[in-house]
Amino acid sequence: MSMVYVLIPLALMLLAFAVWALIWAIRSGQFDDLESHAWSVVLDDDQKPPGEEPEEEEKEE
Amino acid sequence: MHSRLQTTAMESSDNACFHCGEPIPAGVTLSISRGGEEKPVCCAGCQAVADLIFSSGLGRYYQFRQELGRKAEEDLQYDITAWQGCDDRESLWGAELADGKRELLLQTEGIRCAACAWLIRSHMEHREGVRSVQVDTATGYTRIVWDPESNRLSQLAASLMELGYKPHLPLASAEEQGRQTEKRDSMKRLGVAGLGMMQVMMYAVGLYAGDAFGIAVAERSFLEWVSLLVTLPVLLYSGRIFFEGAWRSIRAGRPGMDVPVALAISLAFLASCFNFFRGQGEVWFDSVVMFIFFLSLGRHIEMILRHRNLQAGAALARLLPEWAERLTADGQETIPASDLQHGDRVLVRVGEAFPADGIIRLGDTEVDEALLTGESRSIARTAGDEVIAGTINLTQPIEIEVKASGQETTVSSLGRLLLLAQSRRPSSSFLPVWLVPAFIVAVLLIAGGTWLAWQYIDPQRGFAAMLSVLVASCPCALSLALPVVHAAASRRLLDDGILLTRGESLQALNHVNTVVFDKTGTLTRGVPEIVKVELNPDRPGLNEARILHIAAALEFSSAHPIAHAFQAAVKDSTKNVKPVLVVKDVLVHPARGLEARINGTSWKIGKAAFASPTNQGVNDDAIWLADSEDWIARFVLQDALRDGAEETVRDLQEDGLQTAILSGDSADAVSTVAEKLDIDNWHARQTPQMKLERLEALREEGHSVLMIGDGVNDAPVLASADVSMTVKGGAELANSTADLILTDDSLSLVAKARLTARRAQLLIRQNLSWAVLYNASVMPLAVSGMLKPWMAALGMSLSSLLVVANAARLVSERRPEIGDKTT
Repeated sequence: MSMVYVLIPLALMLLAFAVWALIWAIRSGQFDDLESHAWSVVLDDDQKPPGEEPEEEEKEE
Repeated sequence: MHSRLQTTAMESSDNACFHCGEPIPAGVTLSISRGGEEKPVCCAGCQAVADLIFSSGLGRYYQFRQELGRKAEEDLQYDITAWQGCDDRESLWGAELADGKRELLLQTEGIRCAACAWLIRSHMEHREGVRSVQVDTATGYTRIVWDPESNRLSQLAASLMELGYKPHLPLASAEEQGRQTEKRDSMKRLGVAGLGMMQVMMYAVGLYAGDAFGIAVAERSFLEWVSLLVTLPVLLYSGRIFFEGAWRSIRAGRPGMDVPVALAISLAFLASCFNFFRGQGEVWFDSVVMFIFFLSLGRHIEMILRHRNLQAGAALARLLPEWAERLTADGQETIPASDLQHGDRVLVRVGEAFPADGIIRLGDTEVDEALLTGESRSIARTAGDEVIAGTINLTQPIEIEVKASGQETTVSSLGRLLLLAQSRRPSSSFLPVWLVPAFIVAVLLIAGGTWLAWQYIDPQRGFAAMLSVLVASCPCALSLALPVVHAAASRRLLDDGILLTRGESLQALNHVNTVVFDKTGTLTRGVPEIVKVELNPDRPGLNEARILHIAAALEFSSAHPIAHAFQAAVKDSTKNVKPVLVVKDVLVHPARGLEARINGTSWKIGKAAFASPTNQGVNDDAIWLADSEDWIARFVLQDALRDGAEETVRDLQEDGLQTAILSGDSADAVSTVAEKLDIDNWHARQTPQMKLERLEALREEGHSVLMIGDGVNDAPVLASADVSMTVKGGAELANSTADLILTDDSLSLVAKARLTARRAQLLIRQNLSWAVLYNASVMPLAVSGMLKPWMAALGMSLSSLLVVANAARLVSERRPEIGDKTT
């Protein structure tokens, strides 16, 4: 049973990390829009780099 | 792969625009090619937008969108120029971030579904200097993190406009910022409580197993110790709002629901700590975190529903124009209308609303004041006359001198007065004010009594029993029963195109027995239509279609609402495309008519006295068309009924409701409409004051009144009715006093609102019965000590969730279609 003295503190460290990660994600706005990202899976399929207006044309990649 | 995906039925039919779905005007032959197929579009604006979307490889938008696009502006240059004027105003760039980037919040018109959000993101994220783009489909806000050094504000706005969306000036974003902070904070609290709960529950399983099968003292206290360690931050972070809420309500002298909640969690925590350090007795850390988590969850859901209704209120049409063209010593500049100062000279183009109160300095024109007076006819105004912000300049571009702008305009101050009047309206709240504090005091007394009683029976169990009473009695379900149904109903109504601004009005809507309508703009569309064409019997040789065609061509150059009537009539009466008539030498005579030449013939169109030499004495509302000899035709114009008006009035009457019309328009106009709709009780030429008196008289006779209106002149009467509703295109002022706002052209939404109100009433009854039943039945168990605190916490939370879930049925349930939405 002495294993719990190692495992539980480890779990607590994981917990602390999870809380930090969650708060970071919420702060950076990842949970602000919960609807449109679900669609990006189907929508992004045939997307080419957008054709910008000539004066702004700058090939990236 | 997309065979499995449900593509929405948004494929446009043959005579509807591929992009926006609006009917294609006669004679327009624009189209875009898509995979070898030609798709028709209604205007150059929509064509440009669709072209851009396809050429950027974003064509999937059309496949997955759930709503049609917004009709594009044909000429963006004007708007873009206006935005360019603001490029140097740092105050409009958005909040400054630590690295010098700016976070800009633009309220954007036209965002309707997830496909829109994707389209905007994909289109904008590759722009120079744009760090990230987020679109909130629910609220219509686009959030752009950008670098002011490598891009300009107007470029960002332009890239939204290219796609057919319309960004508004970032003026009122503070409120939205506040909402976002609230949402993020709530999510953080919920997340912390949830993660904490999982941990503490796990340790609790170990402790309960230890109780059953035996556990070493050292391990037991270790588990209790880590439970305490995890509970403490949850209590301090996630539980803080309950303590704050409790403290606020006590200080205000009206203890609320938060008081027993705060008391229960703090007592349970302190007692657990006491037992833990003393080394004997139970700990209830698991109950504490579970209680906090479920309460936070309930609050979070309530907040989401609440935010969803607030949002669209901000997106409503603004009464005052956003931009104004100020004349300066060296030309003119476009500035935000709120920046106008007393004494500024402003140019107001034809068809635009006045950006400020002022005096005409140059030019004669006609002004549409229907918004203020309800009068459907336009009024002549000349130099020296006053004009009021928000009314519309119809015939000639004019120059005005600003007298009052922004918050000082007549319309704005009227708005403030009304809001004041509205705040005095008796609240139709369901529960009496004294009930909640009385309830709280009773709970505290019972809890204290329970503890005392147990001191004589078994002092060991007294504390646990008292905790159970506090937790079990928490009337969360009871307090949620109403608000969650209101929130769900407003979500449902929003899907139907109705904004609910005051939840309690749903109950009032069920008790309404009289419906009072405004006429202009409410029962009617507010724009005239040709109902009769009379030809001069002495002038044969021209048929009606040909004459309409000429009249339409003549009126085409004018922004007068009457011109639209002719355009519409031409569309209806002539299917085959006519040769385009070239109109030359147009001369507009404000308040009288206009003259012009077509193929060498000179024509006059306007009032009898102006157009027809032989009918000088006639003074009617008709429009006369004449050539140089004599009059040829006489057009009778009338304001046409709104879609669904007849069915709506009939339905209401069939349901046994009384109907009435109160209008500011002339008796003739009102009686025609009243006759068509079979409404006996009508009053014409009503000032806002008279409307108010009539309505109050009705209410004194014991009627419960639903008022449906649209104009600023209806605002006071809307504010004093039992339930008020405004129709699409209503003045913002009227909307601000309305309980329900229809956002679709058809009046058939009234029926949908009534149906939802009936459903909501039923759900409220179910929720209240359940909540009362639960609390009443669980209390004896708690007092007698049979209910452990954790059971009470679980039961209470589940009971609350049940109430929330029951209300949510209103959002998702299907129902038979009433009056199909016309697209």
